[in-house]
Amino acid sequence: MFGAGAMTNSIPEIRDADLLFVIGSNTTEAHPIIAMEMKRAVRRGAKLIVADPRSIWLSEIADLHLQLQPGTDVWLLNALAHVIVTEGLTDQAFIETHTENFEAVIEAVADYTPEKAEEVTGVPADMIRQAARMYATTRKAGIYYTLGITEHTHGTENVYGLANLVLMTGHLGVRSAGMNPLRGQNNVQGANDAGASPIYYPGYQRVDDPVSQAKFEAAWGVPLSPNDGMNLNVMMSALAKGEIKGLFVMGEDIVLSEPNAEKVERGLNQAEFLVLQDIFVNETFRFADVVFPAACFAEKDGVITNSDRRVQRVRKAVEPPGEARPDWVILCDLARAAGYPMPNYADAGEIYAEMAALSPKFAGISHDRIGEDGIQWPCPDSEHAGTPTLHMDGPIRGKGEFQAIHYRPSAELPDEEYPLLLSTGRTLYHYNAATQTRRDAGPVAKQPRNFIEVHRRDAKRLGISHGETVKVSSRRGELTAEVWVSPRVRRGCVWMPFHFGESPTNRLTNDAGDSVTGTGEYKVCAVRIRALQPAATPPA
Amino acid sequence: MSAPLPDESFTLTINGQQTQARQGERVLGVAGRLGIEIPTLCEDSRLDPVGCCRMCLVEVGGQRRLQPACTWRAEAGQDVTTESPRIERHRKLLLEMYLADAPPVTDPHPLTPLNEISRLAEAHGALDRFPAACSEREGREDANPYIGFDPELCISCARCVRYCDEVEAVSAITLAGRGAGTTIATAGQIGLLDSTCELCGGCIDTCPTGAMHEKKPLAHTRTDSEVSTVRTTCNFCGVGCQLDIKVQDGRVVQIDSPPAGETLNDGNLCVKGRFAYDFIHHEDRLKTPLVRGADGNLREASWEEALKRAAEGLLGVKERHGADALGFVSSSRCTGEENYLVQKLARAAFGTNNCHSCAAT
Repeated sequence: MFGAGAMTNSIPEIRDADLLFVIGSNTTEAHPIIAMEMKRAVRRGAKLIVADPRSIWLSEIADLHLQLQPGTDVWLLNALAHVIVTEGLTDQAFIETHTENFEAVIEAVADYTPEKAEEVTGVPADMIRQAARMYATTRKAGIYYTLGITEHTHGTENVYGLANLVLMTGHLGVRSAGMNPLRGQNNVQGANDAGASPIYYPGYQRVDDPVSQAKFEAAWGVPLSPNDGMNLNVMMSALAKGEIKGLFVMGEDIVLSEPNAEKVERGLNQAEFLVLQDIFVNETFRFADVVFPAACFAEKDGVITNSDRRVQRVRKAVEPPGEARPDWVILCDLARAAGYPMPNYADAGEIYAEMAALSPKFAGISHDRIGEDGIQWPCPDSEHAGTPTLHMDGPIRGKGEFQAIHYRPSAELPDEEYPLLLSTGRTLYHYNAATQTRRDAGPVAKQPRNFIEVHRRDAKRLGISHGETVKVSSRRGELTAEVWVSPRVRRGCVWMPFHFGESPTNRLTNDAGDSVTGTGEYKVCAVRIRALQPAATPPA
Repeated sequence: MSAPLPDESFTLTINGQQTQARQGERVLGVAGRLGIEIPTLCEDSRLDPVGCCRMCLVEVGGQRRLQPACTWRAEAGQDVTTESPRIERHRKLLLEMYLADAPPVTDPHPLTPLNEISRLAEAHGALDRFPAACSEREGREDANPYIGFDPELCISCARCVRYCDEVEAVSAITLAGRGAGTTIATAGQIGLLDSTCELCGGCIDTCPTGAMHEKKPLAHTRTDSEVSTVRTTCNFCGVGCQLDIKVQDGRVVQIDSPPAGETLNDGNLCVKGRFAYDFIHHEDRLKTPLVRGADGNLREASWEEALKRAAEGLLGVKERHGADALGFVSSSRCTGEENYLVQKLARAAFGTNNCHSCAAT
């Protein structure tokens, strides 16, 4: 709606914000250092609005906690827009100058009254009104979101809903405001920037654009396909259907990390060839035909791009173990073994230079220029200092287009057979497949095994107690986990992390994908809990 | 006369130099801008100033007593002196009292944080000449694997406690006891693992004496070999914290944050960034290429063999089913250059746009 998926503003601006609207982000656990900036802002007097189905650390210090039913985000966001529109809190000058299609949103949100929203989301109507007024009337008001917004079958609508709020209040091109997706992994931004995408070459240039295609064909010396590729979720489905026959996977445990793990395994079983490149054995190994041992971040050079578009250096500190090699060296060798003349790059800096020369957004960035500070893109030439805040001069390239959205229920909701709604996420102490964090004493001491957060009334009804191991199942699979009776979840909802190979939460999750991005619905699926057979009574 | 507006600046004099300051600014900060260094112990730019260590006392015109520069607000027309025989006498005596209370370790470990008291004592000619203060402070072993506390080095500046309250905001630790016996503890004397502590290690980062210290490096490193530092970017979440990796004998022995104010993480790190580095040298790391043998098991192979097998396998799929029967999954855990190469591999070497990563946020 107004450019590439990236934070419009910068992390250091957070401390000066007057209002933080944090939605679908458990920031203290998933982005602890950004959370520290938020804590600092709140300590300084900034208002904090948290929208999350769970009670999280930030909701404890929030002015308002909109504890919505999972998957009802569109209702909440449209109701917020409804209040802003009906109470005349919009920034008319901004809307007229910089946006189009606002009328469609006015029409779309007309029926999303706070009272009706309360029925669907469970958030009191007055609280919705208050949140809308606070957000609309504060100038330095920033939105911060992460996978709680995007990992839904309506993830794209959720993002549109947030962008509508930003545009109608003119919270763009203002320091400490804007729309800020916090990227989940160290180089999510950089992977997208570099063209690890089925539809974009490096620098967000479309593969179906003949001009871009010609440019990359000239640079790489081979004809290229003009057809859009498959995104990861579609690729996993195609694998299960037998349409994908060969797979190369670098640095991801797809069996543990992709939703509906059983389907992924089924696909891998019938694949003809699988190449893996990783630093540890993982759950996907049993399907591999070839495995390359790679260097970890401390053993190689390169760049990483963080959530606020900051290109920063990774520097080699130690040698890789045994015969392990940096991923970039392996990739070049593999290309050559397959008959493609990959250039003899002397170091990672030369690879970056090749990419930068093909990507106007990063054309001014080089290893030498990054130095100790990093550079935030866009950075079009070597004189440009980088861009901490987007849209500062004339907020938008062209016009920001409003998108009218409507609520669609999540793909799978609780029913009689599977009566509980499961959401999943990361914890502070572990990291994704946890091959790294489960090899360190602290995270293991804090969280040794998989658990499921359950509301006390649900626990009572099911006859299960805190610390007990139970069987959790969905239509796609089952596993055992330890019960944590927790005040953090809503009644009828349960929550699990996904870090534990022996109890893989993604056996349960739903791979139904977002209609645009294909991102799986990790945040909503239906499960049931059964107590395991009680152990035999110990002899008296 | 009405008070100046917050943004309105005014003039004051520090060590004879006229300078500008804004309403609400403290003398320490204004002097810092002029490049005037005032020694401090309890000050940390991330924390509210408390003025408890008395190290930064300066002369303020019109004030009979010395005043702490960290808490004293700059005012229009003020005349501040930061160096004088009187101030120097004060600093030396104060440091000698700190030395009596918390004598620095004579043979410090190469990875223990710099003891600020030793450094300042040397700079100001303070001697360890007073008998040890009475304090037998209470210390206790804590089962957590990362954070250690040596009560004998503690000067009760409370930087750790204030960091835990104000920055990490989990309030896991507190000052306990009174007088010379004041120490750092958890409420109810529970272990850190059972407290609200999130093991961020900020208490270690801010401690000026090394009383709060890391347990891991002390167990792993030698005292007689050099430690080098490499600045890099953390490999966990998308914040992009900068790290200083400490290397000894080819091994990562510690990970530290660059000083506060230098990088976007402002001296802060989380439990994963600061402590979860054992994986780097873990014995489970993959060390040789593997290929699936005729018996169905993965066996070790040479790079040459593994690369050949991989290329032939993928090209075979392409020949039999077309390029779009191949998929390439790149990684948002790897570098930008590596992601560039995976997509180039998919597109240029194998002819498909089926290239994505776990980066669908």
